[in-house]
Amino acid sequence: MGTDGRLRFTPGSALVFVVLFLGAAVCIMPFLFMVSTSLKTLGETATRVSPIPFEPAFWPRVPQFSNYITAWTEASFSLYLRNSVLTAAITVAGVLATSSLAAYAFAKIRFFGSNALFAVLLATLIIPESVYLVPNFILVTRLGWYDTLAGLTVPFMASAFYIFLLRQFFAQLPTELLESARIDGAGHMRSFFSIVLPLAAAPLFTVSFLAFVGSWNSLQWPLVVTGTPRWRPITVGLTTFISEAGPQEHLRMAGAVIAVAPVVLLYFIAQRQFTEAIARSGIKG
Amino acid sequence: MGRPPMDSPQTREATKTPRRRLSPRTLRDSLAAYLFISPSMLVVVVFGIFPVFFTLYVSLFKWRPGGRVGFLALGNYTEIFGTDLPHIALLAASIAGFMCAAFLIRQRRARLGALWLSFGLLALAASLAAFARALPFVASRGDKEIFDSLRITIWYSICTVPVQLAAGVGVAVLLAGRTPGKQAFRVITLVPYIAPTVAVAAVFELLLSLRPESFANQVLRLFGGRPLQWLAEPKGIIPLVFGSSPQAAASAIVPAYWAEWAQGPSLALVSIIVFSWWVFIGYYALIYINGLGNIPRQLYEAAEVDGASRLRSFFSITLPLLSPTTYFLSLLGVIGTFKAFTHIYVLRHPAAAGTVDPISISIFFTFFRKGRLGYASAISILLFVIVIGLTVLQQRTMEKGVTYGD
Repeated sequence: MGTDGRLRFTPGSALVFVVLFLGAAVCIMPFLFMVSTSLKTLGETATRVSPIPFEPAFWPRVPQFSNYITAWTEASFSLYLRNSVLTAAITVAGVLATSSLAAYAFAKIRFFGSNALFAVLLATLIIPESVYLVPNFILVTRLGWYDTLAGLTVPFMASAFYIFLLRQFFAQLPTELLESARIDGAGHMRSFFSIVLPLAAAPLFTVSFLAFVGSWNSLQWPLVVTGTPRWRPITVGLTTFISEAGPQEHLRMAGAVIAVAPVVLLYFIAQRQFTEAIARSGIKG
Repeated sequence: MGRPPMDSPQTREATKTPRRRLSPRTLRDSLAAYLFISPSMLVVVVFGIFPVFFTLYVSLFKWRPGGRVGFLALGNYTEIFGTDLPHIALLAASIAGFMCAAFLIRQRRARLGALWLSFGLLALAASLAAFARALPFVASRGDKEIFDSLRITIWYSICTVPVQLAAGVGVAVLLAGRTPGKQAFRVITLVPYIAPTVAVAAVFELLLSLRPESFANQVLRLFGGRPLQWLAEPKGIIPLVFGSSPQAAASAIVPAYWAEWAQGPSLALVSIIVFSWWVFIGYYALIYINGLGNIPRQLYEAAEVDGASRLRSFFSITLPLLSPTTYFLSLLGVIGTFKAFTHIYVLRHPAAAGTVDPISISIFFTFFRKGRLGYASAISILLFVIVIGLTVLQQRTMEKGVTYGD
């Protein structure tokens, strides 16, 4: 790899390419398997099999698109999808509102006890979720939130991690900017809404993205606080469907495709924003 | 709003002296700040801080889903650890001994360093011996399931985090070079991380199923191997690879316990570990690529001028300057181990269930299936203490080795 910026085909770079190609194949393979199995008949899932996607036996003889309709209706996926979308949207809205306000205060206002409060906040980051399972279940049940949207969303409406991420960004904004606004008579509310928020689109997207994925993928908490399909998200719906579909592999995979497709499509449409959002969640800079 | 004008003496003084005083401005600032943080503080206190103390309270009771049944005092804890007090005391002493040893070894650069170091190593050896002797007794007389799940958690941790770190660096370095189609590779390596865990775990459940025509078994057949049970195989990986192990004198508690360790993780757990690699390596690589971007290019150019090989500059420039990223990812990885839930919930096969359940799954089933909220809380407190201990340890040991490039 020369420093002149042109691509050169040396044996070394060919080897790198081959290694990366194999890695990418390993990443993609399970998805190909998922799609091909979801289009097979029940018989084909047992008899027409091959580990190599280039072989015809890997794919169904005639694609059975009706599998998706069967899975969709049998598992009431439309209800689960609606629940997941609602839960995720409410959680994201709550997280954005609470975390950005708090992050602004911690980054830009000097107030009594700010360091101590922030330290307490950060300390909650290392506590594993399993520790919260029992007490929060008891709490949410006592509040009468069992099997409600509130029970699914409110406990996740603020998180030290998101406050921390946003604070890191807000702290980089020049203080003079806010000072001059204050001289012009703007209060903290005004500076927050008209100066800080418009500049923070990128980190706010990161936080929304992380909160959305966290909510969309969560399984443990919804299993615990939902008793009926009323508010059950797609993760719980899919696990129930998988265990009920039993040996019907083609239907199980059809269900998996239904759950994977929206997220992966969204990812391919906005992949640059997604990768940047995840990378930003990593570490400073 | 009636703000004092900038040239009023009050404001001047407030800006001149950094000490907080109860001037109208600092008062109003504090008021605004508390208003701003109150919504998130409310949620964090109610659902993030109070629950830790509440778990401690619940762990002292027999507690069913309907509510409190009776006060047990330390009953739940004696169920975990048993009542073999001498060995519990020995176990506790050995842990204290480890801390002492760590403290002594840290003094090795002080005056009389060699003396402290030798004391430290002595303490370490004694603590190890005590630990190796006490743990089998405590584990066999306490709740075996919990101690099994701790062992599984440790196997899971040491088989996932280091591998993901190493592979992540490798992929990141490959992707940072000038490879044709690099952007496409970057996008693809992240798909396993993006896709909903429940769904991809369901796919792996089929790929790694015990049926002879399953994907994994067909691949094995291509290489001339015999079909395996994969996710349904409770046998340890070491006897599977090296043939059946000599059954240790199973009557004696201590060798029997460590013989169980020597079997390694079960093949079912290894299958789950492979799934974890598949999901996380792309994510680790992405974070590492970000870290690579922060390394100044001139360092490599200077190294090249000095005649350093590629390999040499990787080990003396890239790796040390990536250490903050490594630190962050290892912390994240170990904490992630303790909350691993979704994929294990989907991938655990009844035939191998006792060999793949880490502590997080144990807590969940103790609570959700058995309805024992008090006991689940006691296990949670144990987990909490372990996590705090590990975090302190990790901070002490790793932060020193971290090089900050800027």
